[in-house]
Amino acid sequence: MAVRQHTAFSFGRVRALTLNTLTELTRMKVFYVVLIFALILIGGSAFMARMSFQQEFQVLKDIALGAMNIFTSLLAIVATARLLPQDIEDRTVYTILAKPVSRFEYLLGKLAGVLLLLAISVIVMSALFFAVLYLREQSVLSETNRQLAGSPPDQITDAFNAIRASAFNTNLLPGVAIIYMKASLLASLTLFISTFASSNIFTTVVTVCVYFIGHLEATAREFWLQSQGTGGVARLLFAVIALFFPDFQLFNLVDDVVVGTAIPAALFFKTAALGCLYIATYLFLAWAVFYRKEL
Amino acid sequence: MIEPAVAVLNLTKVFPVPFRRQTVTAVQDLTLSVAAGQIYGLLGPNGSGKSTTLKMILGLVSPTRGTAKIFGRDSRDVASHEAVGFLPESPYFYKYLSGEETLRFYGQLCGLGGKTLERRIAELLGLVGLTSAGGRRLAGYSKGMLQRIGLAQALVQEPSLVILDEPTAGVDPAGAREIRDLILALKQRGITVLLSSHLLSQVQDICDRVGILAGGVLVREGALDELLTIQNQTEFIVEGGPPDLDQRIDRVITECGGQLIEHRRPRTSLECLFLDATQPREKE
Repeated sequence: MAVRQHTAFSFGRVRALTLNTLTELTRMKVFYVVLIFALILIGGSAFMARMSFQQEFQVLKDIALGAMNIFTSLLAIVATARLLPQDIEDRTVYTILAKPVSRFEYLLGKLAGVLLLLAISVIVMSALFFAVLYLREQSVLSETNRQLAGSPPDQITDAFNAIRASAFNTNLLPGVAIIYMKASLLASLTLFISTFASSNIFTTVVTVCVYFIGHLEATAREFWLQSQGTGGVARLLFAVIALFFPDFQLFNLVDDVVVGTAIPAALFFKTAALGCLYIATYLFLAWAVFYRKEL
Repeated sequence: MIEPAVAVLNLTKVFPVPFRRQTVTAVQDLTLSVAAGQIYGLLGPNGSGKSTTLKMILGLVSPTRGTAKIFGRDSRDVASHEAVGFLPESPYFYKYLSGEETLRFYGQLCGLGGKTLERRIAELLGLVGLTSAGGRRLAGYSKGMLQRIGLAQALVQEPSLVILDEPTAGVDPAGAREIRDLILALKQRGITVLLSSHLLSQVQDICDRVGILAGGVLVREGALDELLTIQNQTEFIVEGGPPDLDQRIDRVITECGGQLIEHRRPRTSLECLFLDATQPREKE
């Protein structure tokens, strides 16, 4: 019964909490969301069979990335909102925090579990999306080959290149990464709100409100700055508002991706860094509230 | 000097009442000490402050005033939890985990892993009598089984101190007896046990020392034998003897200036009666 040497922070403890959170969410069958996504993709691609290939691929990307955006955001909010209130209500949190686990490790483990779940979901949805895109591309290539039978080789090559350029290209990957970043930000925001919320319904409702405010914020800010000027006080006020209501429009980069435009590397890294900063800030705020919480 | 397992000094907890300018004092100026190796019972009616006291000792709730120490370390210091196992009142563990997975999870939180952890899991499942149910999810466990797996998780890192909040709440008498036997086995292994309960007969059977809380105040505290012994009375339990033995003893007592206050046949406890009546039937 010798007392072990205690370390203030342990990756082993965080890993145990992360994997347990992932197991919890997996056994709650949240991956049904991915199934709905697959059905939308398959249904959508069947519906688009009569369009021109450029339109078809563009609409397919639009639907897939839009659905991925909505489903990952929804998954982030719903999966995170219940974690803390449920543990407190069931008194499971007592048994965990009575072990040599700090409150920061507990929160980090919970958040990392959700982020891992979101990563798996995004990877599976992307794989499904790219598979459907590839199959449609092959189908269009085969159809074009049949239609252009006997045409000069240059013409066939040009047609094939045009089809391939409209279908899968690597520009899609940064778009998917930003969707994941946005969902991760929402998860950390939800975790922060759940530290002082009384129930998971309250957490969900407040996070959804912040989500919508975050989407309208940019428009409101531009309108205000145009009409009232760009004074220092106004800028400070908007910086404070931006802390509590992240500007989610900054994470809407998929519109460019859908039309085939690449996201500039500088913009991608700036957006990713902003997302990481928000995630770290909300995790810190969650810890600041949870550290003093009477359990 | 040997540090006490638990040392509580002037511990006070005042809760504010939300949306009102009022406060509720859950625990007031509580001072007590639990020596290493003892079984200490914290008694009191519902709402007397037992659970709040245990939560303060575990650092789950911050005291308004006073200190709580575990083996000399402030209980708010997470490092002090290395030596502690805790079973809360009516706990709901993760229902999606099996008994084995539950113990593996809590073991990993305590820094255990590999073969050491797997051996410990098998040992604990055997100790609490859940070896055959270890692979089943907790959603299918009875109340008594949940308490036993809860006790197993509290013991996973072989703590020196085990804190049990109402360990037999909602458990049938046979299950309560098993938990009582487990607690006594812990004492034999040198583990200190601090438990709260309002089931007096159980506490009387196993505790070395008790503290009685009422309205957040410690109204009595001491070794159980000292508290329960009526110093100016003597009890004889006699078996056999002549038919007029009672009258002769009565006469001797009167001659010596004493007074026979009560004369009765010994009684068994309701718990023993219940167990005697139900156990053979279960075996059939």
